[in-house]
Amino acid sequence: MVTVSDLNSGHAPTWCPGCGDFGILIALKGALAKLGIPQHDTVVVSGVGCGSKLPHFIKTYGFEGLHGRSIPPAQGIHLANNKLTVVAVGGDGDGYGIGMGHFLHAMRRNMDFTYIVQNNEIYGLTTGQTSPTTKQGTKTRSTPNGAIEREINPILMSLSAGATFVARGFSGDIPHLADMISQGIAHRGIAHIDVFQPCTTWRKDLPYDLYQKKIYKLDAEGHDPSNLEAAMKRAQETERWPIGVFYKTEKPIYTDEIPFINDSPLAKHDISSTDISKYIEEFM
Amino acid sequence: MADVNRVNFLIGGPAGAGVASVGLLFAKCLQRSGLEVFGANDYPSLIKGGHNIYAVSASPQPIFSLLGKPDILIALDKKTVEVRASELSAGGALIYDSSKVSTAKEIAKRQDITYVGAPLSQMAAAAGGEIMFNTVALGAAMGILGLDFAIIENMMAKMWARKGQKVVDSNIAAARAGYDFSKSIVNGSFKAKVEFVKREKTLFINGNEASVAGAIAAGCKFVAEYPMSPSTAILHLMAGHELDFGIIVKQTEDEIAAANMIAGAAFAGARSMTATSGGGFSLMSEAIGMMGIMETPCVIFNSQRAGPSTGLPTYTEQADLLFSLHTSQGEFPRVVIAPGDATECYVEAFNAFNIAELLQVPVIVLLDKYLSESSQTVEDFRKLPLKVERGKLMSDEKMEAAAAFKRYEYTANGISNRCLPGQKNGMHVCSSYEHDETGFTSEEGPERVKQIDKRATKLSVIPEVFIAPTFYGASLALADITIVCWGSTKGPALEALKLLEQRGVAARLMHIRYASPFPAATVLKNLKASKNTVILEGNSEAQMRALILQKTGYYIEKAYLRYDARPFTPEEIAAHISQLVGRK
Repeated sequence: MVTVSDLNSGHAPTWCPGCGDFGILIALKGALAKLGIPQHDTVVVSGVGCGSKLPHFIKTYGFEGLHGRSIPPAQGIHLANNKLTVVAVGGDGDGYGIGMGHFLHAMRRNMDFTYIVQNNEIYGLTTGQTSPTTKQGTKTRSTPNGAIEREINPILMSLSAGATFVARGFSGDIPHLADMISQGIAHRGIAHIDVFQPCTTWRKDLPYDLYQKKIYKLDAEGHDPSNLEAAMKRAQETERWPIGVFYKTEKPIYTDEIPFINDSPLAKHDISSTDISKYIEEFM
Repeated sequence: MADVNRVNFLIGGPAGAGVASVGLLFAKCLQRSGLEVFGANDYPSLIKGGHNIYAVSASPQPIFSLLGKPDILIALDKKTVEVRASELSAGGALIYDSSKVSTAKEIAKRQDITYVGAPLSQMAAAAGGEIMFNTVALGAAMGILGLDFAIIENMMAKMWARKGQKVVDSNIAAARAGYDFSKSIVNGSFKAKVEFVKREKTLFINGNEASVAGAIAAGCKFVAEYPMSPSTAILHLMAGHELDFGIIVKQTEDEIAAANMIAGAAFAGARSMTATSGGGFSLMSEAIGMMGIMETPCVIFNSQRAGPSTGLPTYTEQADLLFSLHTSQGEFPRVVIAPGDATECYVEAFNAFNIAELLQVPVIVLLDKYLSESSQTVEDFRKLPLKVERGKLMSDEKMEAAAAFKRYEYTANGISNRCLPGQKNGMHVCSSYEHDETGFTSEEGPERVKQIDKRATKLSVIPEVFIAPTFYGASLALADITIVCWGSTKGPALEALKLLEQRGVAARLMHIRYASPFPAATVLKNLKASKNTVILEGNSEAQMRALILQKTGYYIEKAYLRYDARPFTPEEIAAHISQLVGRK
């Protein structure tokens, strides 16, 4: 059995006091412990940013790649060994800014991994610039007169791109978030989990109590997560901020179409000697 | 007396008319007749129209590039007659559609060639479809050479097998019509003929195809690629054999994704590669540095085309050498290999996967358009004794017993044990940040120095003998001049050696394959002992000369550079070198 304490890496997180990343880390550990997935069968993949330091603070395999590029290596790891549990994490700048292309394509591909976005509506590690989810008009260090652009709606985007599991959590509600993450990991296919996460340093205008005031839980209001249209409607609410599972459906996953990894993952194939006759005879 | 088994051939026409496929069929018919064959194309970046050519040279002896003027020219349109008829050798034959280019004789203005004007389209229509007019022309070329028609028949059957017997039969009928027509005109009097030679079967294969063969043989299991000329065929070939060899082939949203995806797959234990050209390679820069600091074994094929930027997408150049050596910020070891012909593409592709795992580094294989798309007859690769070596990759059993595993442990040669996710006791973070032996982020000065040195040491593991350049032609003692080249310039340079010998010039060729690690000792020793030296490169800045100077301190004063985006030709090299050494 894997316990939460087994998942402690022994390294103290470097995040600011009160950072939402602590809640996300605890929730992820809780989810992995609850699902009982062996640590050595889990890979946590990240990009670069405050939240992307997370792999160092959890005792599993980790891949801390490039800024905005957590998804491609997560897909590579999953395809090379589809028996592993792969969880990609990264911030809103990482995933919805520089990594937006990968994000949308990951949603349509429906590979079996989980993507958690630590969405604090700000660039933290680069010291406080506007992010794709920063609401229009917000003053940041790169938009001192207020952000001119409209913010994106990541839930609506993943829903429209074909994601088969779309949820949102709040780093201030760890049991709920852990439930979202464990559902996402257990889901067969891509799981997109956007997480509301206060940045106590650069977004003092977005504190915990504001989230708590605005947030409501989808399941408490009878939302049917099998209804895509209803999910899209909920995703567009602005006055109140829904958390929970927006949408969930079962569709064939990418690797269902790859017969030769049914029995043994790619990385376990014997490559000591390959007879290339089937290829080379074309050139005779 | 007709020249036996020595012939040059050219076909030209608009894109979409099947120029390359007819050229390839012609070449393969000669290959199957037991000849040595070289085939190369030239085409602009468009899908329909324009002027495409495919050229073939055949010889009883090994050949390494196109040779001399075409003896047979198939003109699939009027433009080809206009721009190419003047290239035909004296006594050559021009095959054209008499119903479409009725003025061929007036356009060509040649008295010294045979006009094989046949109503190609009508003959094709009679055989089953006008679309086969190019097959009729192919048959006509074969008829001129007196090739055994059974060879053409077998080739057609193989080529069209997937499309069904009806397509096979009508193509054979179309070829037959052309064959009989030209035979009746030429009647055995043509200047060249083909006689069947019995020998072991060869491969007729280009650089892209041979690289794929090497990758498959080496156990490549994962390919992520975004299409880009002239590397796209690698994606197609791999995808076409996905099920045959159990290789996952993923077309990605861009080259950034491709490079990062293979890094993930390699980390998880699958031998992984991508292929691209300059533009895509530029996008992969950051990920290549990541592979360097993470010590993740990946193979990247960069088939160079003429740059910068979009440049000349379907034309050749050797101008990414220094870029490949310095791609990505910071300092990290990488291996850069530039094979010179199809067999070297196979061998070095195979080596690339071994080296990537032995040294835990990114390996860049530099091809170019000319190498990627030129085909030549070579011995069957299956005879080559290459062996998969995976270096310090830990087994499940060893990891089961491991305690306190350090992924980046300091060792004498800088190479650490590598374990894979899924293996017990090996949990670590593979990080793009500088790190300590365990993989944990470290920004301490002394740790940093140790990691830089650790990684740099790895390159010295490859012995000089493995990476040494190859030498051809005259011995060091007898040579008037040492010609230095790298990559695909090898082929035309080898042919130039023969021409130079005929002119009384004793030339020695040094062909460099490994740019990193660089075989400095061997290169320097040979350059210093040469009477005269010259470098041939397909770029304007003499990049290999700069590298040689940097690594050895030796400056090759004379450089023959070609940067009109075309490959070198043996004739031009020979003329240039003759002049250099004061011979005509």
